[in-house]
Parts: sequence; C-alpha cells; structure tokens
Amino acid sequence: MIADQLFFTGINLILAWSVYVVLLAGNLSFAQGAFMAIGCYASGVLTVKLGLPLVPAALAAAVLSAFLAMLIGWPALRVRGIYLIMVTIGVTFCVRVGLENFKFVGGVQGFGGMMGADLTTVMVAVAVIGAALWGLSISPLQRILDAVREDDRVAESLGINTAWVKLAAFAVGAAIAAVGGALYGHFMNFVRPDNFDILVSIYVVLYVILGGVNNMFGPVLGAAIMTLLPEYFRVLAEWRPTIFGLVIVVMLLFRPEGLLSFRVITAKLSQGTRR
Amino acid sequence: MTSVLEVRSLRKIFGGVKAIDGIDLDLFEGEILGIIGPNGAGKTALINTITGFYRATEGSIRFRGVDITALALHQIGRLGIARTFQNIRLFRRMTVLENVMVANKTFSVAPLRSVLSAWLPSGRRRAAVDEAMEFITLMGLAAKADHRADSLAYGEARRLEIARALAGRPQMLLLDEPAAGMNETETAQLVEDIRTARPRVKAIALIEHDMSLIRALSDRIVALDYGRKIADGVPESVLSHPDVRRAYLGDDEPATAGAAA
Amino acid sequence: MLLGQISNGLVIGAMYALVAIGFTLVIGVLDKLNFAHPEVFMFGGVVGFVCAAYTSVWWAFPVAFVVGGLMGLLTEFISFRRFQSEDAKITAALSSLSLGLVLVDITHKVWGSEPVDLGLTSGVFKEGFTIAGVKFLWVQLIILAITFALMLALHLAVSRTSAGRRIRAVAESPANAALLGIDVRRVTQTVFFVSSALAAVAGLLLALRTGVANPEIGLTFGLKAVAIMAIGGMGDLRGAVIAGLLIGVLEALTFQFGLGRLGEMTVWVAMLIVLLWRRGGLFSGMHAGEQRV
Repeated sequence: MIADQLFFTGINLILAWSVYVVLLAGNLSFAQGAFMAIGCYASGVLTVKLGLPLVPAALAAAVLSAFLAMLIGWPALRVRGIYLIMVTIGVTFCVRVGLENFKFVGGVQGFGGMMGADLTTVMVAVAVIGAALWGLSISPLQRILDAVREDDRVAESLGINTAWVKLAAFAVGAAIAAVGGALYGHFMNFVRPDNFDILVSIYVVLYVILGGVNNMFGPVLGAAIMTLLPEYFRVLAEWRPTIFGLVIVVMLLFRPEGLLSFRVITAKLSQGTRR
Repeated sequence: MTSVLEVRSLRKIFGGVKAIDGIDLDLFEGEILGIIGPNGAGKTALINTITGFYRATEGSIRFRGVDITALALHQIGRLGIARTFQNIRLFRRMTVLENVMVANKTFSVAPLRSVLSAWLPSGRRRAAVDEAMEFITLMGLAAKADHRADSLAYGEARRLEIARALAGRPQMLLLDEPAAGMNETETAQLVEDIRTARPRVKAIALIEHDMSLIRALSDRIVALDYGRKIADGVPESVLSHPDVRRAYLGDDEPATAGAAA
Repeated sequence: MLLGQISNGLVIGAMYALVAIGFTLVIGVLDKLNFAHPEVFMFGGVVGFVCAAYTSVWWAFPVAFVVGGLMGLLTEFISFRRFQSEDAKITAALSSLSLGLVLVDITHKVWGSEPVDLGLTSGVFKEGFTIAGVKFLWVQLIILAITFALMLALHLAVSRTSAGRRIRAVAESPANAALLGIDVRRVTQTVFFVSSALAAVAGLLLALRTGVANPEIGLTFGLKAVAIMAIGGMGDLRGAVIAGLLIGVLEALTFQFGLGRLGEMTVWVAMLIVLLWRRGGLFSGMHAGEQRV
C-alpha cells in the first residue's frame, strides 16, 4: 500500500534527519535507534497507560530523549569522535537490553496498544522538522555549526563554546529521533525491543551517507531511495542489505559526500548593501 | 604604559620536554612585540599556552588584569584574544565571507539567539554582512568574498586569517609566523597588512623567523631559546645581543633580512 | 557453581580477547577502525559449519585462518587503500561497516538467518572432567589453549621477528617507516591479514563451543570487541587480552548473580566507565597521551 510506504519513508526521513543534526556539529551518532526506542516507549506509556493524546505524548518523549542525550553526551562528547561512535553503539545496546528487562513495558514480549499515527501525522511532523531545519540552514547558527565541524579548536578560539554546541546538536538529534519513534510505535500498534536494535542505528546513518551529508535534502533522498525503491524492484527488496552495502562502498569511494553534495551558503555578498 | 599581557614564570612541560621553561613577558598597549628564536625555542608553544590551546604547567598569565591561566579556550577567545596559525587554519569549505562572519561575537557567543535571528528583519542580516565586509575589504579580499576559503592563494589565505581574527574585535592579536612560506613581495605586502590591522587592536605579538618583518614592525623584541627568554628590549639591542647571535648561527648576525635561521 | 561460571567466563573472555586483539592491532599499527572485523568473526563459524559438513571440523582451523585473512586483504583493498588521510578515517570505517553488512546478507542468503548446527558429535565437544565439583569440558580447554597459543604467537612475532620490527616501525610512524625503506603497504596487508585471520579463528572457536554457527553473532558478540578494545586501550595488545578476560568473567558473574539478561550490558557500561575515568582506556597502547592542539 502506497500510504504505508510513504509513512515509513517519512519515519526513516525523520530518523535520517536526526543523524544529520548530530552530524552538523561534526559527530557521528549510532544511537538514534536507541532514542527512537525511548521516544516510542515513553510516548506509548503516556498514551496507553496515562491516556494522553499523541501529540503531547510525543513531545514529552522528545524532551525526555533530549534530556537523556545531554546526560550521556556531557561525558561522552568530551572524547574524540571515534569514542563517541563507540559510546553511541553502546548506548543502543544498553537501551535495548534495558527495555528487554523492563517488565513495566512488556520486556522481551513487547508493548502494545499504541495508535493514532497515520500518514497525515507523519507528514505534519516532516513538514515541521523540515521547516525548522531550513530556518537553521540560513541562520548564523549554521555557520557556527559549520565552523565547529571544520575545525573545532579554531572555532573554540573564536569564542564559540563548542562543547555546548555539540551537546545541543546531540540533544536535538535525540529529540527528533524520539518523535520518529513515537510515530512509528503509534502506527505499528505493537513494538518489541528488537525493533530498535543496532541495525536500525546503522541503517539510518547510511541513509544520510547515501543521500548527502552537507545539506538537509540529502537525508530526504537517502531515506526515499532506500525505503521506496525496494517496493518497486523486487530484487532490491530481497537483496537490500547487500545492494545497499555495495552502493555505500561505491559511493564512499567515488562520491563520499553523498548524492546531493552541495552546501547551502548562509551568507552571500549580495545580502550586503555595500559592494 | 598599560599592560595588556603579563606572563610570569610560565612553564609548559610535555612528558619530559620543557617546551617553555620559565618565561616572563610583558605586552603593552599600543606596541607590536616581536618574538624571535630558533626552531624549537618554544615560540609556538608560548602562543599556544597564552591562547589556551595548551594548559600551562606552572606560572601565570594575566590579560588586562584578568588571570587567564586556567581558562578554557572559548573563554579566552571571548575576553578578546585572537590569533593566527603557522599553518593557516581556515574553515576551508566555507566562503571567505562566512569565515569572517563566524568570528562575529554577537552570534558566536550566543548561538541560541542566532537561530532566531534567521527570522530577523533582513536589515539586521545585512548589517552583519556589512560588518564582515568591512574587515574583508580592509584586507583587500572584497572581490573574493563569495569564494571558498580553500580556493585562495597562499597570501590571500593568510590575509583572510587576519581578517577573521580582527572580525572578533579583539584587544590583542597574536600572529604565529605569518610570513612562513612567503617571498619578498608577499612579505612586504604582509607588513602593510599588519600595519593596517594595528589600529584595530590594542597590542600585537608577532612571532616570526623572517627578520625583515620583525625589523619593519617591532617596537620591542623578545628573544627565546630552549624555552627561556634570552633577551628583551628594543630591536637594535636585541638583534645585536651576543646570546641572540649565538642562538642562531654560531655568532653570526641573527639572519640578515630574509634568510632566516 | 561460582567456579564453574568463572571458568566459563574465562573461556568466553579468551574468545573476546582473540577478537579484540585483531581489532586493536589494526588500530594500533595503522590507526584504522575496521568495522568488517565482527562479521569476519561471524564467518569463521560458517567456515566451521562447511568444513564439518564436507570434511572434518578440524580442517576448519587452517581454512578459517586463510579465509579470514583473505577477507582482511579484501577489506583493506576496498575500504582502506583509498582512505589514508586523517579526515578519511570515518569514511573507511563506514565503508568497512558496509562490507560487513554485505557479508552478513550473503551469509543469510546462502545459509539462512537462523543458527545452523555444526553437527558436532565427537565426544571432545560434549564431554569433560570434573574437579572439585565443577565440570570442565574438553572443548573449553582446547579453546583456552588455542587462544593463548595464538596470542602468544602474535606477541612473539611482533616483538621478536624482523617482520614484527617492521610492524612496530609503521605503528610508530608510517612516514618514517617509509623513509627507512619499509614497504608500508606490505605491512598494512600483513596486519589486516593476521587480524582478520584471528577473528575468523575466534568465530570458529565460538561455533565449536556453542555447536552452532550463528549469522547474527557479528553484531552482538563481535561488536563487543570494539568495547573491549576501548577498555583495554586502543592499540594495546596486552590491554585487549586483559580486558577481554576481565569482561568475560564479569559477564559470567553478572549472569550468576541473578541480573540475568542485563549481563549483556556489562561490557558497554564497563566501557563507559573506563572511558570516563581514563580517557585512553586501561593501557596506553601505541598512542600514548597525545596533546591536542
């Protein structure tokens, strides 16, 4: 069903954007699967056990995720990028194992009863997040993020508190992933911890790598290609990981910045009044 | 004379290496201080420690009366210290204009506020661009404002670094071997560029190997060797000081113009 | 009971150590993170299955070593040859990660996604002996013996042979090594070969212990090697061994003391704690305290 496929494309896009936001500050996070899980379960508890409507529950779950991200990120982001990758991998495992042992939300058996999300909800979420990202990309904060990404020590010497910037990016990324998770759960109605394993975290990173890391549209392309194309080409669906893996390997060899590699320049001379 | 920078008994030790071994140094308002010394004398270590890239092992650094010895990099930057780097560290994929705009402290100090400013009336945005263009024009790069930083020629890249440093409206500017890799024409241009920058800051510290630059610009010179200060004073006396001569090439004159040690 | 758990933990820990050693070798010498490593580990078990099916499972040892080594060479060629610069390290890691995904998928297609029974009927795998009320299986001893033998061999090779000297020179500084006339590419290939060969053998050993070849094991067991490497110190061989054994025992203990499945978290929590307390891991490895400028 096309509506279903568009729905999942939307979810994957939201998750890809959550990776993108963290990447803006120069950090690669493999924890988005974990924050997706937290968002899903937290919002699920709020709607199913406490009767809240979906939107406030999702937003509350996003805030919770952001807060947890700041807790984890505060020590974690002080270490070199490669350590952050490992810490985020660890976070994904720990969250999943934690959920499996958390009887209140069903443990390994899973958690159900969530409903209320459909294609419209996802499209609204995509539109809101997209608009926010667009606003970001033409704002001075984008320049600051670019500087932090290019050379964080020099950026720091210019007066930018890079630790705060990286932490904020990590937290916002977590919040976005949580929204994706909340919508996912309320569509699927029933989820289990192994829906949110390390493979999810890996795939969403690869969507961004495929589509393009320099701008907000790359993740759109990556998520769309990887979610929709297999629907139309059976061979893609059956051999998805292999083809995806090989495509990424080839991309990295020849076009490492992704398919859409342009950078949105935040300020041009033409914006000035003088020449 | 007002003191801008006061360094006392500064030591920086890496493992067993004494990069800086007890340095006292003053920088006064209005002056350009030249810092010279053979390779390994500790010049770059000194500038790195002052600006916060290294943490001092011992000693104190006071900037306009404030003790900055233990401050974090970004705090030191915000207090008004700017620098350039020996191996030119620009934000390569950003344009010239963006490189300079990111130094604008209005936004860098308050990143949150700057997100909202995306929806500012365009007058405010134009003002930010104009301000950056002021520094870009000052350094003669106006024609390249929208070009990527990594497309610039070496001399232009160096000027962009200075423009970026000035755009933060610092009180003190530290230049780490700005003439590295330049020929005579480029060095002469650099002298002009630094003279242009001079009125914008309260004091400049200039680390250099190239004696022509040092002679042309310095009001005072400090000479280092093995992490220690070996001479301090007006150029004529420092450059003919026996210890300084010995530190360079035996007891030759420490490098005649251009031919550095 | 406790002793039994600890001995069990040591055996698992030895296997962790063997996987981690290969991982950390590549980081220590070449400063590269090979994320295909966990899947080569997984494939070692598959090799065991194939050999058990067609000849004898004991042939799997040399075969796994060679196949693993060849996979290492392939990974080096595809994912690392092009990406030598500092900026490209993440790119190389991602590329090798993707190669790993391809390997897993192919394994799924050919052998299925469920664990496959190796059909190990020989008494060696089922029987053992009892000391002080604790049962030890022969296969556990074999695993311990082989892992320690391999680790010792690696240590001796790196510290005593001329090839080892070249490896250490490259670990110190590839640029200087090249100036000294060392063929850095040859050393790189050797390191990749050995590291992946060890991973495959470790995977084989695990398959022998559990009796099955599990295609999913790469992302669970194998990825833990990353954490263990971080705990032991990036690039430190001795650290990888100690950390591996420690974690193996720690995990066994957490299972023992009723924390059940939470034991899975042990290694990651341990990694977080170690990284926060001592940023570089327990030992300094080949990259001792660099000063960031």
